[in-house]
Amino acid sequence: MTGYRTHISIIADILDTAREYSYEGHDRGATVTHLIRRANVPHGRLSSLVSELKASGLLQELPEESKYRISEKGMEFLKSYQQFKGFAEGFGLRV
Amino acid sequence: MEIELATNLAGLAISIIIGRFAYAGYAAVGSPNLLRLTLAFISISAGFVLIATALFAGPAFSGAMNTSGLAAQAVGYFFIAMSHGLKSSSDFVPSRHVAALLLVPLTTAPFIIPGNSIEHLVRSISFILLVYVSIETMASYMQTRKNSTLMIGSGLGTLAAAEIVAWYGFIFPGTFAIPALAAKVAGFGLMFVPFSRLGLGRMEKVDGV
Repeated sequence: MTGYRTHISIIADILDTAREYSYEGHDRGATVTHLIRRANVPHGRLSSLVSELKASGLLQELPEESKYRISEKGMEFLKSYQQFKGFAEGFGLRV
Repeated sequence: MEIELATNLAGLAISIIIGRFAYAGYAAVGSPNLLRLTLAFISISAGFVLIATALFAGPAFSGAMNTSGLAAQAVGYFFIAMSHGLKSSSDFVPSRHVAALLLVPLTTAPFIIPGNSIEHLVRSISFILLVYVSIETMASYMQTRKNSTLMIGSGLGTLAAAEIVAWYGFIFPGTFAIPALAAKVAGFGLMFVPFSRLGLGRMEKVDGV
């Protein structure tokens, strides 16, 4: 579905990027640049979203380097998002 | 009466399951649209309860309970229409004059519907809301080409058809009551088919954003 993105879908994009950079063999985490590119939001907004995600335990910041990994809770959120996205799209709506 | 009760209970069961799933989605991802769908299906379920209860009520209360049930369902359709309205307004911001045209169907409703029956007034409002929602859902189908959207859009269209058939009960009292109720349950059935494939077992809550 094209057009305007919801707050939840931007969060899902951030978490999905963090997930891509968190798998085994590539587990150094996603940088802020990776997240900005994928989520397509300004740096200021991304910072507040990342803080929100860290506070709710969906994203983890790697110590020493400014990189982010998805948490187990974040993976659960992404799975739920994909499932309920299909449900809402059935009604012609966005999650 | 048995057929009416059975069809109402079938509609109640389907709307409770869809509402429960929408609530699980709201609890998991916190989407406002899923909250509105939850409220919509709670209202629709409450409507089915009231309509089914009206079958056992005395003649003094039966009509009022039936109309209350229909009104509760109209509120449910309103929540779905509201979600579509908000989505459309974020995609396309019309000028004030164009936006005013959107009110025409609702403002003309009092002139084309009988003023002496609250039940038919409520049915007319439900019909307008359902036509709007089914058109919006079909428009989404044209973009996504998802079968689930087609099924739900068809279901909503069938619900609209059920309302117009029931509305004709004003002209021919009682004649179309059962076909209208059957069409209504068929509409909810169509909405349930794609939803049932999404997985009924996944209802756990994930606290998040």
